[in-house]
Amino acid sequence: MRRYDSRAWVLLLPALGILAVVGAMPLLAVLNYGFHDIFSLQNVHWVGLQWFGDILRSDRFLASLGRSFLFSALALAVQVPLGIAVAKVLLTCGRWAVWWLMLCALPLVVPWNMIPILWLGLIDRETGLLGSALTAVNFDYKFTALHTWALILVMDTWHWLGLVVVLAYAGLSSIPPAYRQAAAIDGASRWALFRFIELPRIAGALSIVFLLRFVDSFMIYTEAFAINAGGPGDATRFLSIELGEEIKGFSYGQAAARATLYFLIVLSVVWAFVVVTRRREGEP
Amino acid sequence: MIRGVALFALAVFMLLPLAQAIILSFTATLPKGGVAVGTVGLMNYANVLADPDLRASIVNSAIVVLLNVSFCIAVALPAAYALARYRFVGDRHFLLLILVFRVTPPIVLSLPIFILFARIGLVDSPVGIALVHCLFNLPVAIWILESFIRAVPREFDETALLDGHSGVSFFLRHLVPAIAPGIGVAAFFCFIFSWVEVVFARILTVTAGKPITMAINAMFGFQTDIGMVMAMTCLSLLPGVAMIWFVRNHIARGFALRV
Repeated sequence: MRRYDSRAWVLLLPALGILAVVGAMPLLAVLNYGFHDIFSLQNVHWVGLQWFGDILRSDRFLASLGRSFLFSALALAVQVPLGIAVAKVLLTCGRWAVWWLMLCALPLVVPWNMIPILWLGLIDRETGLLGSALTAVNFDYKFTALHTWALILVMDTWHWLGLVVVLAYAGLSSIPPAYRQAAAIDGASRWALFRFIELPRIAGALSIVFLLRFVDSFMIYTEAFAINAGGPGDATRFLSIELGEEIKGFSYGQAAARATLYFLIVLSVVWAFVVVTRRREGEP
Repeated sequence: MIRGVALFALAVFMLLPLAQAIILSFTATLPKGGVAVGTVGLMNYANVLADPDLRASIVNSAIVVLLNVSFCIAVALPAAYALARYRFVGDRHFLLLILVFRVTPPIVLSLPIFILFARIGLVDSPVGIALVHCLFNLPVAIWILESFIRAVPREFDETALLDGHSGVSFFLRHLVPAIAPGIGVAAFFCFIFSWVEVVFARILTVTAGKPITMAINAMFGFQTDIGMVMAMTCLSLLPGVAMIWFVRNHIARGFALRV
């Protein structure tokens, strides 16, 4: 049992110091800029809630919001079950499992701006390993929205599957064999085994996977922009791409208001998630 | 049988894009120095290593990552210890706070961070990038270290303190060796963010101090030597592969959400 001792706060102070400088102060600054029109740092006008109103009323914002949520939902729906499935297969691999884990972790160390370049190289019509096969099935990521989405989703899955696999494997391999034996004696089905024994044990690890994958896919920028710059048309214009355009266009006040909105959206999803998690942990 | 097919598919999926990169990195893709396009050899790697900007970027990235890992571990260790051993007013709020910072989209903070760091002279310096990356790596390091410290029985601390070790010497001489694998895993997760991150690396390096990600960006131009880009990419993978190798037996401890 952990002892009650509020002097432990002293040990948190260094961490809080760093987080205050690189986290809290910039967040407050963004919030403040969002209420101003910024021509230059010396020439700043208060505009109140004008930017927020403009953004929330624009159809483009709502469309991008929908696209970003859809992309996050697809990414989670593909990557989490697939990652758990891979982890379950790896559990049967004995001492070879560690090699497979290393293989799955490889894409995590590729520089983010190279990930789209690798995939574009792979599907290049002339030099790509998959080029001729994809040309044969009329795959065209430049002009067909569905294909662009598929490419970004496959690329994102390639990039992040390792994280899901590693954390799911960590949870699954910590289950004592006795649990599985007991379930086998009771004649539990494979689904019951997963639902009542394995899932509760990996819930903690899966929560963090869910949250990290949600924010990263919701705010996907580097990878998505390099594939097709939001195109074809506006088909892959995600929220982050709109923000990037405003920053590049020097409309800092508006960009800050937008950033604040994005932060609030992410925060409310995380908050809902935490409330659900705490409620579940509170159950006996 | 099904398992074999599944594993084979997994291996192909994971390796295919990398195979493409490795093949291109050994192929001449632009006529340069009398080498015909399509020639296979090591010339791309030779060109990368001959370029002072690219060499400097590897050093810059290494400095960023080393600084970031040392900041994170040094600061996360006491925090993780406090969370693993004590209950105190606001401990859950602290956990919630670090979760909020971890999930803040980087692009949201890019503008004020640039203005703030320009004011205190941390633009174009690896220290600046390493500090900003702490925002994302510190929470993860705290989660990982906390779970490892929790696995060490409390009697371990008490014995060391009874033996007359002070707080600091207990941390360095007893706790750190006991949770060394955890420190390795935390360092790994810091590494995979810091080494490959793009958004902050871009805004915080205007003229100098560019890490590998930005050096690779700079290689794209009117006539891009894609073979050389791939050679640079393959080289940049090597430290990551080494990191994976070092933590391979401990990475499967993972970490879980604590709120």
